Amino acid sequence: MNTLNKKLIIAFFSVLILGIIGLFTIDQATQSRINNLSIISEVPSFELDNFDGIPFTEKKLDNKITVASFIFTQCEGACPIMSTNMGLLQKRFSDSDILQFVSITTDPDYDSSNILKEFSDKYSTKNNWFFLRGDINDVVKLSEDGFFLSASLLPVGHSTRLILIDKDRNIRKYYEGTVDANIVELQNDIVTLIKQG
Amino acid sequence: MKKQLFFQSAVVSTILSYLLIFVGGLVRVSGSGMGCPDWPKCFGRWIPPTNIDQIPSYIDATSFNIVLAWIEYGNRSLGVLVGFSIIVLNIIAIYYFRKETKLLVSAILSLILVGANGVLGAIVVSSILNPFLVSLHMILALMLVSVLSYACIESYKLINIEKFKGLEINRSLSNSLIIFWIFIVIEILLGTGIRTNLELVSIENPLLSKGELLNALDSYKYFHSFLGFTLLFLSVYIYSQLRENKLYITRFLGIFILGMIVVQIFLGEMMIFFELPQLTRLFHMWGSSWLVGVIIILYNCIGNEYAK
Repeated sequence: MNTLNKKLIIAFFSVLILGIIGLFTIDQATQSRINNLSIISEVPSFELDNFDGIPFTEKKLDNKITVASFIFTQCEGACPIMSTNMGLLQKRFSDSDILQFVSITTDPDYDSSNILKEFSDKYSTKNNWFFLRGDINDVVKLSEDGFFLSASLLPVGHSTRLILIDKDRNIRKYYEGTVDANIVELQNDIVTLIKQG
Repeated sequence: MKKQLFFQSAVVSTILSYLLIFVGGLVRVSGSGMGCPDWPKCFGRWIPPTNIDQIPSYIDATSFNIVLAWIEYGNRSLGVLVGFSIIVLNIIAIYYFRKETKLLVSAILSLILVGANGVLGAIVVSSILNPFLVSLHMILALMLVSVLSYACIESYKLINIEKFKGLEINRSLSNSLIIFWIFIVIEILLGTGIRTNLELVSIENPLLSKGELLNALDSYKYFHSFLGFTLLFLSVYIYSQLRENKLYITRFLGIFILGMIVVQIFLGEMMIFFELPQLTRLFHMWGSSWLVGVIIILYNCIGNEYAK
């Protein structure tokens, strides 16, 4: 065998090996994204009210992919950023009727239905974003026992994380609601969940 | 001996850079670019964590994905390796070839390019993978392999002066290679433009299907295909001109270019009509990077200063 043929065979196998490595890596990356969305726990039952007075219970989470957050309207730090980010996702997924958004106030004394309505007008562009209020003890219980997010020194001490909940009411992942990179990741994970059906 | 040393060092740097382009492409198609959210460290560590417990408490661990972190880390460490190999090339060039302008300048230029692209890599991460910056990152890498390919062929010619003496000069072939190279660069910019726009559209409309995404693009996507077929005709012409060439390397590169264009057209059409788009994308991009370097090598074989 002359040297040219040898070199060509080496080149051919190098490309083949790179192809296999490429395929394997792409597959691993895809798999890891799904594995990173493993079920954390089920959302417990709760009962709060939307700003229009209609009750909102855990049953409303069924057959919907939900992005949830804890906020209060007088908050000047994280909440506007978190809510702007949720509004961005709401807009980008406006064609999807399987995605919904939930924001729960940690200041129900001040955040009356009317104030929540005003807040909704500011950030939400579609009727698939619910702004919920209820008894503060219920909210603390839901945050700490339901979502495992600390809720001390309310209203300020609420978590700044966004919660991704699948259509079977399972918590799948948390995202820092003020970090752009995490919002991009949340967007990708929503696509993954929607494609999974 | 010294020339041989420079040549070998240039070849090693070139091959490593091509591997780096492959791995960089792999990062893009597998969506691992944010695998390490910080730079140059990965989750605050020089070696990425293998377990979530290893992440320091001051760093938010919510986005940790071990697979994506290690893919991105592979790109970074190979980049460092390329950097070292080019530093070695520069040491050889400065030590032995201060008067050989072509070798010295190409070595220094490659060092500047690899450094600049490292810095750009950091900006890419901090921009959360802005598609423009990601594409620019690739274009700088293409410039790097172009310069390195030039360093390879120029040092090869110094070693093998005899082979290149007395060759016929074919002006029309040299000119068509220049046109071919310009077309290839335009073709790559068009392809990069298509990819950049697809990514931009898909950020704003994450649920669009592949067909809808393609429809959302301007008509210049057809120009990419059109230019591809133009390149096919040009490469047939170049091949026919090189078939009888005395130099073995030029004959071989003539076949390589023609074959690569055919493969590229095939991969391009596959991406539109078939599934498995990620691997096809990766090789489509990688093949184009080989064409850029190979044409530079071929041109400098043909239009060489030792010919008649």
